[in-house]
This record gives sequence, C-alpha cells and structure tokens, in this order.
Amino acid sequence: MSDMSKDGHSRRSVLKAGGVTTAALAVPGGVAAAAAPPEGTAPASTAEVTLTVNGRPHALTIECRVTLLDALRERLGLTGTKKGCDRGECGACTLLIEGERVKSCMTLAVMEDGREITTVEGLARGDELHPVQEAFIRRDAFQCGFCTPGQIMSAVACINEGHTRSCEEIREWMSGNLCRCGCYPNIVDAVRDAGNGAGR
Amino acid sequence: MSSIVGSPVPRVDGRAKVTGAATYAADAEVRGALHGLLVLSTVASGRITRIDTREAERSAGVVAVFTHRNMPRLARPEYIGFLKGFIPVQDPDIHHSGQPVAYVVAETLEEAQHAATLVGVSYDARPPRAVVADAMDEAYVPPPGLSGPNETTRGDVAAGLAQADVLVDVTYTTPMHHHNSIEPSTTTADWDGERVTVYESAQGGHATRICISEALGVPPGNVRVLSPFLGGGFGAKGPVWPHTLLTAAVARELRRPVKLVLARAQTYTSHGLRAEAHQRLRIGARHDGTLTAIDHVSTSQVTRTEEGVFSQSQSSRILYACPHVHVAQRAVRLDLPAPSFMRPPESVGAFGLESALDELSYALGMDPIELRLRNHTAVNPETGEPFGSKHLLECYRRGAAAFRWTERDPRPRSMRDGDTLIGWGMATAAHTAGGRPGAGARVVLSPAGKAVVQVGTHDIGTGTYTVMSQIAAQTLGLELDDVDFQLGDSDYPFAFMSVASATVPGVGAAVNRACTTARRSVIDLAVTDPRSPLHGIPAEQITAEAGFLRATGDSRRRERVRTVLARHGEPVEATTEPVPIPPGYSVGAEFAEVRVDPRVGRVRVTRMLGAYDAGRVLNRRTLRSQALGGAVCALGFALTEHTVVDPHRARIVNPNLSGYLLPVNADIPHVQALFIDEPDPTSEALGARGFGETPGTGMTAAIGNAIYHATGRRFRDLPITQDKLIRGANTL
Ligand code: FES
Ligand code: FES
Repeated sequence: MSDMSKDGHSRRSVLKAGGVTTAALAVPGGVAAAAAPPEGTAPASTAEVTLTVNGRPHALTIECRVTLLDALRERLGLTGTKKGCDRGECGACTLLIEGERVKSCMTLAVMEDGREITTVEGLARGDELHPVQEAFIRRDAFQCGFCTPGQIMSAVACINEGHTRSCEEIREWMSGNLCRCGCYPNIVDAVRDAGNGAGR
Repeated sequence: MSSIVGSPVPRVDGRAKVTGAATYAADAEVRGALHGLLVLSTVASGRITRIDTREAERSAGVVAVFTHRNMPRLARPEYIGFLKGFIPVQDPDIHHSGQPVAYVVAETLEEAQHAATLVGVSYDARPPRAVVADAMDEAYVPPPGLSGPNETTRGDVAAGLAQADVLVDVTYTTPMHHHNSIEPSTTTADWDGERVTVYESAQGGHATRICISEALGVPPGNVRVLSPFLGGGFGAKGPVWPHTLLTAAVARELRRPVKLVLARAQTYTSHGLRAEAHQRLRIGARHDGTLTAIDHVSTSQVTRTEEGVFSQSQSSRILYACPHVHVAQRAVRLDLPAPSFMRPPESVGAFGLESALDELSYALGMDPIELRLRNHTAVNPETGEPFGSKHLLECYRRGAAAFRWTERDPRPRSMRDGDTLIGWGMATAAHTAGGRPGAGARVVLSPAGKAVVQVGTHDIGTGTYTVMSQIAAQTLGLELDDVDFQLGDSDYPFAFMSVASATVPGVGAAVNRACTTARRSVIDLAVTDPRSPLHGIPAEQITAEAGFLRATGDSRRRERVRTVLARHGEPVEATTEPVPIPPGYSVGAEFAEVRVDPRVGRVRVTRMLGAYDAGRVLNRRTLRSQALGGAVCALGFALTEHTVVDPHRARIVNPNLSGYLLPVNADIPHVQALFIDEPDPTSEALGARGFGETPGTGMTAAIGNAIYHATGRRFRDLPITQDKLIRGANTL
C-alpha cells in the first residue's frame, strides 16, 4: 500500500521541507501564505483546496500541515475514517484516492486538491450496501469495528487490484491493515466472497 | 420452537460499523470543542525543577497551558476502577517516564500539537530502576488485590514434591505487553453549568462517572458518560486513567468543551500494561501422571505508587486435581507506569502451567492430553464445590479428533515436510468468568409492541448489542426486530466494567430478569382482560414467543403481544437491580501446528483449533469471532509482542505499531473453533457463561509446545522470535 501521493510527495518529505521553508512547497490550489514566517517557527500558511469526497466537492481554506485524515474528521465531519496511529502503521485511516488505497494520515489535504476521494461513507448506494460491506457483515469480519472502515476500503482496492486469487494472496495484500480484535480469518473470507461475487 | 437465542444472527450493529455510521467516542460532534494534548515527562523518576510555558502560550491558537502550578486540584478517586496511585499534573513529582507534566489546549489539533513541542521542562532526575531481574532480591507478596489474595496454599507442597517420582523445575519469562486497541483512548468533556457530558472510550462508563464525580467533587448524577461504540479495549479502557479526569477538569476551567485523543505513543504510558513476569514452576508427579504438587511462584513488576498484580495464576489453583498447591504472586517495585489487566489476565500463569505440564509429559513419556485427563477435576479443588458445568473432557475429545491428534508422532523433530520441521502442541484453556458486581436493566414495552432495553454496559466488540437483543427478544416473546437494546450511557442502569468475561453473565442475567418481569406483566394484562381470547387462563399456562401469547395445550387461543399492549394503551416497564455475578469457569482444549524453517529459524503457525465449553452458545457467529480473536492474541504473545524498555532510562523504546509487532493478517492461518454448547445450569443468562478471555489462555503454550515438538528445543523466554531460534542454529 502506498503512502505516497500521486506527485511523489509523502507527508514526511513535505513536513521535512516545511520545517525549512514553506515557499518551496508547490501546493495545488495556491498558497495563501501570510507574511513569510520567521525562521524556525511552524509553517502557518493556509491554502484553498477543494476536496472531492464521495462525489461531493468541499471547498476549504486549510493549513498546509493538516493531514487528509484530520481534514475529513475534524473539518468535514466525516468521521467514518479512523485514526489508529497517525503514522502509517495501522491502516485504520485507509481510503481511496482515484481508486487507489492510501493511508490518509500519511498525506496532506493540500496534496489531494481536486482528486476523487472515496471514504467508507461513500460505498453504499442509499440503503444498498456495497458487496464488500455485505460480505463483512455476513462473515462477521469485525468485532469492535474500529479497523473496519480501513479494512473495507483496503478490501475494495485489493479486489480491484486482482489480489484475490488465493487466501494466501488476500492475507498478504490485506496485511497493511491491523485488527487487534483478531478478525483476520473472517476478513479473508469476506474479501474472497466479495471478490468472487459470492452471496450476492 | 424456533429459538432466537442460539441462532447465529448477524450483528445488529453491523450496518453501522460497515458504513462508518457508528460513532466512537472521538467521532462525537461537539460544537466548539477545543483540542487538548498531553506533554509527557522524559525522565522516569525525580522532580520538575522548572517548567516554561511562555512560548507555548504565545503560539497561534493556544487557549491555555496547564501545569502542576495551575491545573485544578483533583481528589484521587477511591473507587476500585481507579488503579493509579496518584493524579499527575498536581505536583512536581515524577513517578515514571511518559507521565503527563502539562496539558495544552488549543483551537485546532495542529496548533495543540505544535504548542506541545514548545513547553520547556527541566528535571532533577534520579536514576530509575527498570529491570525486574535486577530487583528480584526485593520481591514481596503484595496485599490482596481485585482478584483476591496473592498467596494461597492447599495441602503441603514440600510433602507433595517429596512424593513425586518425576519433577520438573522450570522458569519462564514473559515480557511487558500493551493492549494496543486500534482506537486510542479518548475523552471529550462538555460542561453545561454544573453538569458534564463525557464522550469516553470506556469499558466502564459507570466507573468513569464515579471517578469523575469523586475527582472533581460533583454529584454522580451530574456526570453523564457516553460510550455507544468502543474501538477495542482489551482491559486498557476498563479502569479510569488520569487523562480522563484532567480533560474533565480543564474543560470545566475553560468553560468550553475539550477533546483529547491520546497519540499512539502516549497510550503506552497513559493507561495500564501487562507486567513482565518471571515464573518458577515446580511440578511433581507419579509415574502414572498423577500430580503430587504444584509450586508456582511468579514475580512481576509493580511500581512505587501502585502494587496491584493482575496476571493471575488461577489455573494452577483450580484447573487440575492436585492435593498440594502453593501459588505466590510476588512483586518488585520499578519506576515504570502502573500495570493493569490485559486480555486475558490469566494467560500469563496459564502459559507457565501449560508449558510446564508439556515438559512433564515428555519427562513421563506420556501424551500431554493423557496427562491432563489423569488430573481432571469435576469440582473446584479449593472449595470442593462443583463448577456450574465443566465439559472439559469433551473438549479434549472433540478437539483432538478434529485436529487428528492421534496421527501425531510424539517424538520431537519426527514430523517433517522436506526440510521443514512440523510440530503439534496442545494446552488447556481456562479462565474464570464472573464473580464480579453485576448489572441492572430497564425494559419499556411501548403500546406499538416494541421493546427498548437499556443497560449501562458496553459492546467492546464482543457482540453485546446482538446477544442481549437476542436474550431480550426471546424472553419477551418478541421478534428480534422488535427489540432495541441500548447501551453505552451511564444514565442507564448500572453495569460493572466490561472486563473479566463478566458481561454476558452479569448483563445477560439482568436482561433476562427484567424481561421476564415485563413478560409476566403483559401476560397478566391479557388474562385479566375480558376482551382478550386468553382471558381467565392462569398466567403460568401462557407462553410468549415470536410476538404471540399462547395458551399451552390450546394453540388456537392466542393473542399478539402488540394487541395486548395497544389495548393497554400505556407503556409496560420493568427494572432490575444489580445482583452479583456468581463465579464461573469457562474451559477448552487448544491445539496448534507450526512449521519451522530450520535454516532461518522462521516459525509459521499453520493451524489453530480450539474446542470450548462456554455454556450455552447464544450466538455462534459472534462467539466464534471471540475464539478467533483469542487465538490471534495468543499468537502475538507467543511469537511477536514485546514492549522494550531502556534499562537505564526506564523509557519504552517501541511505543508504536512498527516496533511493537501485532500479528498481521499474513501471520494468521486457518483457525477452527468448536463449541460444546451445553447450558450452565447456574447461569441466569439463559445458560451462557462469560467466555471472551478463555480462548487466549491456552494457545500461547500450545504454540510454544508445538515449537518444542518441531525442534526439540524449549524456549522459555517469550516472545519466541527468529533470533532466538537461530541462536545455536546448528542444533535446530
Ligand atoms: S492512522 Fe493512518 S495508518 Fe494508522
Ligand atoms: S474489529 Fe476491532 S480492531 Fe478490527
């Protein structure tokens, strides 16, 4: 799973660069920088971005240091995407950007300006659940459910990537999403079902 | 009769959880909430000599910075749910690394995160003590704790050991562990005058209410704790920890809601941990396998401010018939954060006992199941009283058959696939389940025929919403869809913390009682009403099922529950007061297969199987998931998990999920769970017993025993990592 955004910046490299100078930061949407911050203080620049989440555009003025995850949760009230570690280790924050799975704690909101973002809230069509969501319920592929939004988004991508030819392959390609409740065997069953179009 | 209880219905909260609609504590929308952030001490022992908050206070968006100088004074709660011996940010004393020393509040999370880096703290630090082995000379037996005495003796162990034909005398060490639920602990406190609403990641909503009330000096009725969904707890969120109290205090002080979410690294020192443990076991047996004595002495860390020991040795005390037993749970004081219970608390002692029994089985030349059969007990050997029910023999039989245990060649290193060594191991699983304060319940039947059932309990992922809906529907004689089971609100009737496999027996009994009373009220309404077809029939002769009241023996005389309630025109209510939960004991037999690559020392667990007696199975789907979860946890215990402490600075060096290795999907093979499904006649929860802790107790030893069987080498220091296997690889 990639925590790099399309233009090749990871949040880490951007944060590192931001510590030195904010001017070097090429931000889509344009930086509405205040007066150049004095050396050594945190970057306080904000940017105008449009986050297209589940088909709906949201125009935001947002600090460049805000992660996509925190932008969704704290600014847009889209709390389905979870924060488990905030450093790319657990997968709870997984969502899709242009159809690819991304850990949203590892990318900044400003870097995803204009891209198509899909979160767990955007999978169902009205009352009709996405086949992966249905399979997770049928297979009891969660207990506490906290890792589940990330697991489900990863599963959708895993199926689209074609990594469901065997249980071993599913296990390997679903290993970026931790589940402390230990639902792994059921997650594998759910991904396999949904990948095969079973139970629909 | 179609039974709702026992049917593997999908989780009633499943839809909310797969759509992102389930609101965990940090998801609550609280308008105007400020963001709190803890600043933690970087030394383990000493005093703060200077704390400079000026730069942080000047930082953009900062509303306040609290230190011990200006944090409101809090009383340490006396309630048993508060384990910490002190409240931080009240004085300059430092008791462990990672102790809060300041609390920053800002308009946004990013502003709080940045300002927290600007707080300057100087310390007068003392060299801490961080290593259990260095303090063994000072080990002592602490006074009785939450789970009873730390030293017990039955019979005469010296005499028992003298009677033994074969003796094993072995020592095992297990490391510190952290719960690492994927949801970090979080608190949002929102005051309205003298009343506060707290959105808390709680396994103990009522415990949180009581502790906030005691610490802040407000009446319990002014504190409302909401926790409708919990992102896992595994014990970490059962006790109440200081960050919750501090958040409530600063929100009151600032007159604005404050939201605190612990960073992952902060969870390692802000709530409990499983203590490192050294266990020495001396077990004597006769040639026929009969145990003559068990002497089980464990030593684990406590602190200078707390002395609770939470890794219990119940297995050694009550799992087997043995005339002479001595158990001591000793402690040494270190400068580390307070230990607490972690799923399952009895797994540490069980790992020691079940590994030692495996060693004994080889010393005797006896099959390890046979050894356990020889020492089976149908009664609690401490009291002589029978267990409510204990179908352990059946667990061994069914588990062994399903695992094909008889195909095992008992000789170590005898089973291979090419170069790969294969090992099969087993252990008994056992955990107490109950013996805690219980729960109350409230049920309201509406004139529309719907039931709302409320208990201030939690669904920590175990399926409380679902199985309690099933119990309520069955007891009321309604369809599942007609029942709305509500939890996670401290305004609902009291429930003890959701810990120690106590929720099903405690809450299940309360729901059963309240719903039984309500059903009787509905029946009384029908039989006393001339308009009812059931009029005049004795109430005892009426059954309620699937939405209908029926006369026994005359099924044509029936009436819809809904019709009775509609005619009554008012709600029918019933409540029950909490009753203590009787002790229970849930057991099983667990089996593991490992494949070891002898060239690189890599262990793969390729099969795990458990056969369990959980009393009556309320819902096979959710129960099976609990069994899987226990097996996965045990695999982490056996092979990967280890909190590493810098011995010089008493700091945790891997407080994250890339250094603390939880099992991942690729680590987990096929896991099979079988259930005996016989009701426990002593359980008021329709024959079900608490179960969640049991499956995590035996599998750790089963994996270690399988590795011995594969390699002929016994690893007595956990986790059994690759480096340990390749050390001396020429013998592997
Ligand atoms: S929160 Fe993003 S990977 Fe853990
Ligand atoms: S369901 Fe609880 S962490 Fe995965």
